[in-house]
Amino acid sequence: MMRVLTLSRVVWLEMIRRKDLYVLLILLVTLLFVLLSLNIFGLGGVVRYVADVGLLFAWLFAIILGVSTAGRQLPQEEAKRTIYPLLAKPVTRADVVLGKWLGSWTITVSCTALFYLLVVGVVLLRGGGIQPVTLAQGFVLHAVAMGIVTALTVAISTRMTYGAAASVAYILIAGAFSIASRVPELLVHEEGFVARGLLALYYGLPHLELFDLRQRIVHEWGAIPCRTLLFVAMYGVVWVLFLLLLAWMGYRRKRFKRGALG
Amino acid sequence: MAAAIEIKDLSVVFRARRSSVAALQQLSLSVAEGTVFGFLGPNGAGKTTTMHVLLGFIEFTAGSASIFGVDVRESIARRRIGYLPEHPETYPFLTGRELLMMAGRLFGMKRGALRARVGELLREVDLEDSADRRIGTYSRGMMQRIGLAQALINDPDLVILDEPTGGLDPLGRMKVREIIAKLRAAGKTVFFSSHELSEVELVCDHLAIVSRGRVVAQGRATELVSQGESLEKYFLRVIQHEPAGRVG
Repeated sequence: MMRVLTLSRVVWLEMIRRKDLYVLLILLVTLLFVLLSLNIFGLGGVVRYVADVGLLFAWLFAIILGVSTAGRQLPQEEAKRTIYPLLAKPVTRADVVLGKWLGSWTITVSCTALFYLLVVGVVLLRGGGIQPVTLAQGFVLHAVAMGIVTALTVAISTRMTYGAAASVAYILIAGAFSIASRVPELLVHEEGFVARGLLALYYGLPHLELFDLRQRIVHEWGAIPCRTLLFVAMYGVVWVLFLLLLAWMGYRRKRFKRGALG
Repeated sequence: MAAAIEIKDLSVVFRARRSSVAALQQLSLSVAEGTVFGFLGPNGAGKTTTMHVLLGFIEFTAGSASIFGVDVRESIARRRIGYLPEHPETYPFLTGRELLMMAGRLFGMKRGALRARVGELLREVDLEDSADRRIGTYSRGMMQRIGLAQALINDPDLVILDEPTGGLDPLGRMKVREIIAKLRAAGKTVFFSSHELSEVELVCDHLAIVSRGRVVAQGRATELVSQGESLEKYFLRVIQHEPAGRVG
């Protein structure tokens, strides 16, 4: 565990010392203030609008941060050949995969918490209100969803370059959000090969829409039952474990391309 | 004397879709504990591949390889090893001290002992003043020295160095030679590859020459090279007797 934590700490140090994180934070603050200065829908409308758009950006930025952080870790170790001194120590490839995922996930979740604080701060400043229990539930499920996003990206990056892994991860995440949830309604009009393809998407992609409580938070619909929360969280944990297993299987026997021949 | 490294009939074949390349062919090698062992060969001879097998990066096709009697495929075999890769690159966003602390934690070292060891190593590689600067600002020589320091963090019994003096200025090379001499005095085993034959002559007790994935000469440096002949001449004579063509 010590080795996994040490490796995840390196991910943290890298992110803290890179500019990506600060750019996203500044961008979110700027967007929130631009939204605040608009008064298209009247005061009440604007607060709800700010919360809605602010949380949407929190999701978008968390996904961007999660994919860019997780997707870069393993290909970068290989390209810069830092993987060699690392694996020359009593560190297993499973430690590397777990450490990189843990670092990417925890930093993404911490930044997501900052994004939420910013949105809530702006909403409160504007005189609006947010139900704290619903908000906490929304954040917990968001954090689990980021676990899936980062694990998916790490798994893909075991066999691809950073750019390719990030692109594939974005496509799969967009597919999981936009198509997977609509499969039942699309299936009504389809049959044969298309229907089988849609079913494969439905069962093959994680249902990220289950983790999205934005509407519930914005429109103050109240908290979801604890049992439902637990069930969705468990569903997320199972996906994370499955994706990390895939990542390990993709990495454990990988022959690194550079410097293999001497 | 017991063997620090024991390799028997080691073969490594890299398979691509339509072809395969035999990088090592029944390579056998024995490195006794407490020796400084030079591993020489032309480019593509199989030096780095052999080191990568010893470090568990590459799976071998046939034969056996062990370090202090432990099969190299076991991660526990790496507990007593320090490794410096060729052209070491490391995390540019870390400081030298942070890199060494990280390396020590990966060996499970306790905080107090680790701090003391990091201070000692920084002094040894002359990087005390730059210890809290980011590695991204280091020169080539400093990178090599911090790489060497991280390889020694666990006070290893076997140090594997891949071209440790490559690209260094004369002062940097002298520093590396001094460190190797200290390791020898402390009874450690040093296994290193180099193209700098004059360096090898200065520091090695034993050497092996590898060509096309096979060991073509092995023994005490003083016994292999006859009187009046330099190591360079001997090396060229041995290599030129090998049939042409690249294997590994």
